[in-house]
Amino acid sequence: MIKIVPSGDSIVIIKDLNNLKSSILTNYIEKLNLNEIEDIISLKNSVGIIFNPYKITSNKFRKKMKSLILNKKLTNNKSLKTWKIPICYDEEFAIDLNEVSDKCKLDKNLVKKRHKEVIYDVDFIGFLPGFLYLRNLDKSLYFPRKKNPRTHIPKGSVGIAGNQTGIYNTESPGGWNIIGRTPMRLFDKLKDPPIKIKQGDKIIFREISRQEFNNF
Amino acid sequence: MKNTIEILRAGIYSSIQDLRRVGFKKYGVPKSGPMDEYSHILTNWLLDKDICSETIEITYYGPKIKLNFEGNIAIFGSKCDAQLNNKKIKTGVSIEVKSGDILDIKKCIDGNRAYIGFSGVMKLKKIFKSLSTYEKIQIGGLSGKKLNKNDIISFKNIKSPEIKRIPSSFIKRYDDNNFIRIIKGIHFNRVQNEITLFDNEFNISVNSDRMGLRLTNNPIKLNNHDEIESTVVNKGTIQIPRDGNPIILMSDSQSTGGYPIIGNICYVDISKITQIKPNKSIKFKMITLNESNRIIEYERKKFKSILSIDLST
Repeated sequence: MIKIVPSGDSIVIIKDLNNLKSSILTNYIEKLNLNEIEDIISLKNSVGIIFNPYKITSNKFRKKMKSLILNKKLTNNKSLKTWKIPICYDEEFAIDLNEVSDKCKLDKNLVKKRHKEVIYDVDFIGFLPGFLYLRNLDKSLYFPRKKNPRTHIPKGSVGIAGNQTGIYNTESPGGWNIIGRTPMRLFDKLKDPPIKIKQGDKIIFREISRQEFNNF
Repeated sequence: MKNTIEILRAGIYSSIQDLRRVGFKKYGVPKSGPMDEYSHILTNWLLDKDICSETIEITYYGPKIKLNFEGNIAIFGSKCDAQLNNKKIKTGVSIEVKSGDILDIKKCIDGNRAYIGFSGVMKLKKIFKSLSTYEKIQIGGLSGKKLNKNDIISFKNIKSPEIKRIPSSFIKRYDDNNFIRIIKGIHFNRVQNEITLFDNEFNISVNSDRMGLRLTNNPIKLNNHDEIESTVVNKGTIQIPRDGNPIILMSDSQSTGGYPIIGNICYVDISKITQIKPNKSIKFKMITLNESNRIIEYERKKFKSILSIDLST
């Protein structure tokens, strides 16, 4: 049974979605274009909504969401997009590839192979502008986040942390283990939306050479 | 240059902010906007401007600005040591200025931040529907940066509205013994000892910034520090990291958090806590969600009836 719970006076969390994908629910709520909603954030098995409490109280907002959602037959039939993202594992970019290969006891080529052979799900976009959290990483590549984050990770870097792989789409400090870089510009602050990939979409990495990276 | 202002000294951290950036958290772009939304809104009111309009947020020590226009300015928020052409001026009231005047704002006195408004519209390009400065990806403001010496901001539609003054019922005090009302958070049941949470005082750390306020002096023990599944957070969300010192998320905070959430500050009290000076103390007071809703409704009606400001726009 879907639950709609408050978190403070300006957030409502819709959870226990069971089989309903949060991206489907998010998409549905976005299309309602409710004036009191400020932000909708789609998480793994929940949807968080930030609303303006001067426009509606939390109690009324929860009732409204309940009536809009509970009797609605939402199905997971939205066709999800699959994005092919070029990745270059050149050593200049893959600054942590050696360490990952050593500690995971896998040959570097095997790390690359296992990293690019999987179809990933976009779990979540955020933490940093445009940062993509991808699920489905091969178990042999699970690797903890760095204890001391680097102060500077270039845009496009692809890293591993825990059981996820992720893409830095803006330059920032960060603690992920970097194993490659994409030349593709996935986040553009001059465009709205700044990133076309959505939570729930699928990602496939396509390996490119350094030459192709430079010519991209 | 006509209809501009020129930054002669930037101050510690001065940035252009409008009310907030709505709808981009899903891409990892924070709301930004003024830390003290309340004072920002009232600054705009002094100049007959919409509550969403842009102001300059100053932090601790303000800028020195050459004004090259005829119109009004207003300063509100923390009381501050402000001068126009070397003569002391008041905050909380709009002031007529003429071309060539020099505005010099020094220390913030009883709070951390003040807002400078101008009776014109800054000629700047919105990014993601907002002028709010967010330096991390260089958006908003003047090419995505805080104000720097020699920056020039151009204005259009400069007006000269009637002089206005903030009514005394809207003036806040930020002394000691500040009570901040909070609502129980979704992980409140992890708090080991409720009494220490509500009876002991917290201090605001100097390490606070636009992302979050850090509280010290009263670490909160949890009976379970297991990481939570990331959940949505907002300005005013109170998180407890492993060291027990609460972090209250602010304007430039991200969309989700992985630390347990023990509470959320009542929407109306968020502006107040941003003004409490480092090393002043605060205490939390627990209220119910229904009480918070009533406080919000009372605030909305007060703004509407006394100032004709519609907070729900």
